[in-house]
Amino acid sequence: MKKITTFFSVLLLIIVAAACSIDNYPAPDAQLYGTFLDAETNEPVEQDIIRGSVIEYIEQGYASQTKQTMIVKNDGTYRNNLIFANTYSIAPVRGNFVPLSPQEVQVAGETQLDFKVQPYIRVKDAKIEKVGSKIVATFKLQQTMINNVRKIGLYAHPQPSVGEPMRVALVEQEINATTDPNKTYTLELDAAANANVLKTGSQYFFRVGALIDAPESKFNYAKAVRLGL
Amino acid sequence: MRLFLLPLILLTFCCGGTEPAAEPGPTPVDEVKYDETGVLFKSYKGLVMAGYQGWFTAEGDGADRGWHHYQKSGRFEPGFASVDFWPDVTEYAKTYNTAFKYANGEVAKVYSPYDEESVDLHFKWMKEHDIDGVYMQRFVGEVKSEKGKNHFNKVLANALKASKKYGRALSIMYDLSGSSSADMDFLAKDWEELQQQFALFDNIKNPTYLRHNGRPLLAIWGVGFNDGRNYTVADIQKLMEKVKGPTKKASVLLGVPYYWRTLEKDTENTPLLHQLIKSADIIMPWAVGRYNAGSYTSVAGPTLPGDIAWCKTNNIDYAPLVFPGFSWGNLKNDKSLYNQIPRAKGDFLWQQIAGAKGSGAQSLYVAMFDEVDEGTAIFKTKKEGETPLNAEGKFVGIEADLPADHYLWLTGQGAKWFHGAAGYSAQKPVR
Repeated sequence: MKKITTFFSVLLLIIVAAACSIDNYPAPDAQLYGTFLDAETNEPVEQDIIRGSVIEYIEQGYASQTKQTMIVKNDGTYRNNLIFANTYSIAPVRGNFVPLSPQEVQVAGETQLDFKVQPYIRVKDAKIEKVGSKIVATFKLQQTMINNVRKIGLYAHPQPSVGEPMRVALVEQEINATTDPNKTYTLELDAAANANVLKTGSQYFFRVGALIDAPESKFNYAKAVRLGL
Repeated sequence: MRLFLLPLILLTFCCGGTEPAAEPGPTPVDEVKYDETGVLFKSYKGLVMAGYQGWFTAEGDGADRGWHHYQKSGRFEPGFASVDFWPDVTEYAKTYNTAFKYANGEVAKVYSPYDEESVDLHFKWMKEHDIDGVYMQRFVGEVKSEKGKNHFNKVLANALKASKKYGRALSIMYDLSGSSSADMDFLAKDWEELQQQFALFDNIKNPTYLRHNGRPLLAIWGVGFNDGRNYTVADIQKLMEKVKGPTKKASVLLGVPYYWRTLEKDTENTPLLHQLIKSADIIMPWAVGRYNAGSYTSVAGPTLPGDIAWCKTNNIDYAPLVFPGFSWGNLKNDKSLYNQIPRAKGDFLWQQIAGAKGSGAQSLYVAMFDEVDEGTAIFKTKKEGETPLNAEGKFVGIEADLPADHYLWLTGQGAKWFHGAAGYSAQKPVR
């Protein structure tokens, strides 16, 4: 009986060990990286890490056509250091720019792929300053499409990835209209009134943005500014 | 004597050498270069042009086609009409009495573009209002018959003359509606004939024939629609190759469905369409009936910049379509279709002009100059309350408090804006 048990234990071990060979595929050894660039100004297009624009990609050669996704950093760059070398169909989706068609891309080793996009809104001439106990943001909006601008906002967070989805304090204004490119918008965030989250003596990041009224659109921003309170 | 040839022959054989002779490739063909001296319109960019049907005829105008496009079931009398708007013929030198009457008993009259004077007047209006010119519609199905061809050639002759007189742009637009694959050869032949007969490409004789990318422009409408047409995208690709030829004889504008980019809704779902579009010079998506004032922003808002970005990437030009409204109650025998897409005194037209401009468009296609069948005409038509009687039905008029040329004027304002004039915005201009 004991012999039989030993025999089966050994047999089981052999089977289990053999099963491991299934995982002996090479690891993903290619990198894909790039930047979302404004097709007109060639400046990076600011994004949100959370609930921001997403890059969908489908690896070719598999029947399943599974969509995988990458997120984009606030400064408009993205990077994936663990991707299999192969041909992919890649499309940035649900973003803050005019949608792009998917493109076929050969990924091998260090592969750079920048996306030239048309941001829905350009937040221009943005200034964010501390005036007394208030944070005052002024900026202009340049729409690249005719839809309404839904709202504008000023957001604060201790991290540089501040934005509409990532803030400890905010001030927003509903617009729901098309905007005049010459108009200067002003948003004021009262730091004193938000003293519980905006602590005197600490550093915070502030960013202004605007949201177009288009399907699945995301905020467009100016660069974040760091201020000490 | 022949002996002398022997060393030559032997020598020729020796020439084989060690290297195999290279396959002779196709001899490169030089692209045609056109003289643009005196040419008034070297590009569609910056222009606002309308479509010109020119398909009407009247009893007694000499075309021998009866009340073509006015009539219904062979009759043009109260209860039988294919048109919703009634042309305002106050200024026409030549008019034709019809069986229709106004409420005061006066006989209602129409015009025929078969008459030189009538087409001349239309071009005069274009000049008065700064509208750059027109695309002369040419229906393959109609010009296949002798009478049809005679009519359309006469209208074209009238238009070429008037376009030169008033300095307005003109281009030919073939409408493929009702065509079959076999008709593509006919079209190519007809197009060659027109070039010869009217010296279309002659910069001295026809300085107003529209050019684009250095070549005369031909427009082909009805490419990639999924409404059960008897020709394919591949047929058009072959036609394009024929029209351009190895020397790239002409530039081509393609009239495509509204959802050409995403290959959905009104568009055939074939990637061949994108290939074809990439080999064209300009595209013009058909927008009539795709939206109204209420849905314009949500439909055209994302579409226009997406289309323009796609065209920029693929290095082709883009001309969005704008139209004043839509009405085809008489054509469809359905009273609910009178004023189906209301004009709202031009608010709807201006909304589209501003939308196209705001999205970065550089040219406009206005549907249409004289289309009274589907009620998209911008030319002078009768006002609400002043139209002829039509048995149980009616005729639709433009808003009663507007001047007869209101839609010509408003289109002209749009043209000025597209020409670069300042002071225009989403706010409809005030006259």
